[in-house]
Amino acid sequence: MDSILKIENVSKSYTGHKALDDVSLEVPRGAVYGLLGPNGAGKTTLIRVITRITIADSGRVLLDGKPLTGGDVFKIGYMPEERGLYKKMRVGEQALFFARLKGLTKQEAEHRLRRWFERLAIADWWERKVEDLSKGMAQKVQFIATVVHEPKLLIFDEPFSGFDPINANLLKEEILGLRDRGATIIFSTHNMASVEEICDHITLINKSHNILSGPVDQIRRSAGGNNFEVVHRADDSTLSAALAERAIIVGESHNIIGGYRESKIYIPRDEDVKRVIAALNDNCGLRSLREVMPSMNDIFIRAVNGTL
Amino acid sequence: MKNIYLIISREYLERVRKKSFIVVTLLMPLLMIGLMIAPTLMMLYSGSDLKRIAVIDRSGIVASELVSSAEVEFVREEQLTKDEACRIYNNDSDIFGVLYIGSDIESRDSVQLITNSSSSLMLEENIAGQISAIVEREKLRRYNIDNLETILAEVETHIDLSTYVNDGTGDETTMESTSSGVSYILGIALGMLLYMVIILYGQMVLTSVVEEKASRVIDVMVTSCSPFALMMGKILGIAAVALTQIAIWAALIISASKFLLPSLLLADGAAAGDMMLSAAMGTLGNTGYLASLFAYVALFLIGGFLLYASLYAAAGSAVDSVQDGQQFNSVIMLPIILSMIIMMSVFNDPNSPLAFWASIVPLTSPIVMITRIPFGIPGWEIALSVVLLYATFVATTWLASKVFRVGIFMHGKRPSWSDLWQWVRMK
Repeated sequence: MDSILKIENVSKSYTGHKALDDVSLEVPRGAVYGLLGPNGAGKTTLIRVITRITIADSGRVLLDGKPLTGGDVFKIGYMPEERGLYKKMRVGEQALFFARLKGLTKQEAEHRLRRWFERLAIADWWERKVEDLSKGMAQKVQFIATVVHEPKLLIFDEPFSGFDPINANLLKEEILGLRDRGATIIFSTHNMASVEEICDHITLINKSHNILSGPVDQIRRSAGGNNFEVVHRADDSTLSAALAERAIIVGESHNIIGGYRESKIYIPRDEDVKRVIAALNDNCGLRSLREVMPSMNDIFIRAVNGTL
Repeated sequence: MKNIYLIISREYLERVRKKSFIVVTLLMPLLMIGLMIAPTLMMLYSGSDLKRIAVIDRSGIVASELVSSAEVEFVREEQLTKDEACRIYNNDSDIFGVLYIGSDIESRDSVQLITNSSSSLMLEENIAGQISAIVEREKLRRYNIDNLETILAEVETHIDLSTYVNDGTGDETTMESTSSGVSYILGIALGMLLYMVIILYGQMVLTSVVEEKASRVIDVMVTSCSPFALMMGKILGIAAVALTQIAIWAALIISASKFLLPSLLLADGAAAGDMMLSAAMGTLGNTGYLASLFAYVALFLIGGFLLYASLYAAAGSAVDSVQDGQQFNSVIMLPIILSMIIMMSVFNDPNSPLAFWASIVPLTSPIVMITRIPFGIPGWEIALSVVLLYATFVATTWLASKVFRVGIFMHGKRPSWSDLWQWVRMK
């Protein structure tokens, strides 16, 4: 795997509290990478280690296979969770300031910023003062300031907090757009819906540990891979007799329209699904059988509770 | 380097564009002029109230010689006794008080001023002065000297002491003339200026760093530039604001000295006859001297400010709020306040060992040296002081940047001095 960022055995302690304990992960180039976890799990600490705001006690951070140095940080676009903008400055001036700090010329920065302001429908705010903006508006400005120099690696800490659904959607599309243009995006969130929609990889951090890492579809399949939804005509006892030792019924069955019943069954990994289908077809009037993928929300809760 | 420039210009523009900056910059000179003129105006207007004094003269030589003026009018009373006069000229009359002169003027309690409300120092000096002059003249007259008036006019003497700094040539036209009075005033003014700028603008650096930290802009900033660039940008940006303000004031004063003072001098200078005033006018009217003085001010002001600003930046980076900064602030203030105390002793003897060493040692040198410069200081002392000051600035900036680099990311517990020292030694 071609990884842009590799984190190896990173630990970080604060007085009396371990924020990160031997965390390792790998971010593939071009991915949208979600860092999930409950509040206080260590997501922000991990991000601050990557941006070198916090120095890890042990472990390494590799960017493009080389240990991260001070200068590398300037190539990263970073939007912290607690948004930082100079309150007394005008919006346009402020965006220009950050863009030029990141190395754009004044003309180039202004040109790109104007385009971004149009795209996010905030062109009218160019002359407004930051202190007059609402939280969501300030978020958009901060987002633009983070991405305007088109860095290869972008890190957003809770990018969707403070946005209404319409603007959150707008932001999601812009994030996917950035990925399509070649950027790698890491973002932390506890909003699972956004993870399903845009992440292709995730790491789940809980109590300072990396408890789950990998591509989203793979995680979902492995977490719920053996659950199936069956639609059939049999009652519960007929169904369980037909399944015999091959599978077990999970939870309640219930009637649905057309005289059918719907049941959830669990087929162990070593069982041949075809034989189960044959048995159901012969005895229960099988209409359909499909694999049920758990939602990221379920996985998140089960992983945090240790029941995955 | 480009980033430092961007940060400097951001810090600079944010402050210079504020309305408060423009107002303070323009109002301050007016306020200063007001403070200078106010006492004169107060004297003019408070003295205009005419006081009438009834004079009972038992000696027979004083009353006829007393001269009335705009402040006081003497009214002779031939008939009344002191007690009667006091009874008649009570609060209700238009007489301010009764001046009683006994027959033997020089004996104790012989000259009395009995007033209805408390008299002023000026009035008392006026009366006592006039009476003693009258008595002196009377005594002289008793010697029966011919042409007394001519002799008195002839012996009256006025000495004009010209002071120069010896340059070894013996030719006073090449020597620098001095005036302790003017040096004193200039010294105080410049010392105070540096004191104010270092404290006000130094604390502005502290506040600015703390705000940056509190608003979390710092997280964005440090992923965009190095902490050192951020710190220097802030210090230099605020220094530029201070210099702009002083440059505007200097321009106002220099243009006043070039265009306003010459006409004032023509109008009053000759008539004033006041040595110190005309010396001051001469100094302030010497545009070249003023310009060189401003150059020294700039040199020590920049050096002193940068030195203290780097300490303030380090202190600001270590704390979460301006209040927490007080712990460090009070320690940083110590040498500044010490400079002010030493500055006062400079006026007694600008070349005392204390004054000399305090103007060489970097933490006190900016304020003490700028106070000494108007008195005329050897060039090597100034050069040494400047070199040491700027060398120390480089050293404190290096130390401060080490503290700053760690401090800006620390939140929560207020660090102790030993924590700061640890940060300095961290790789």
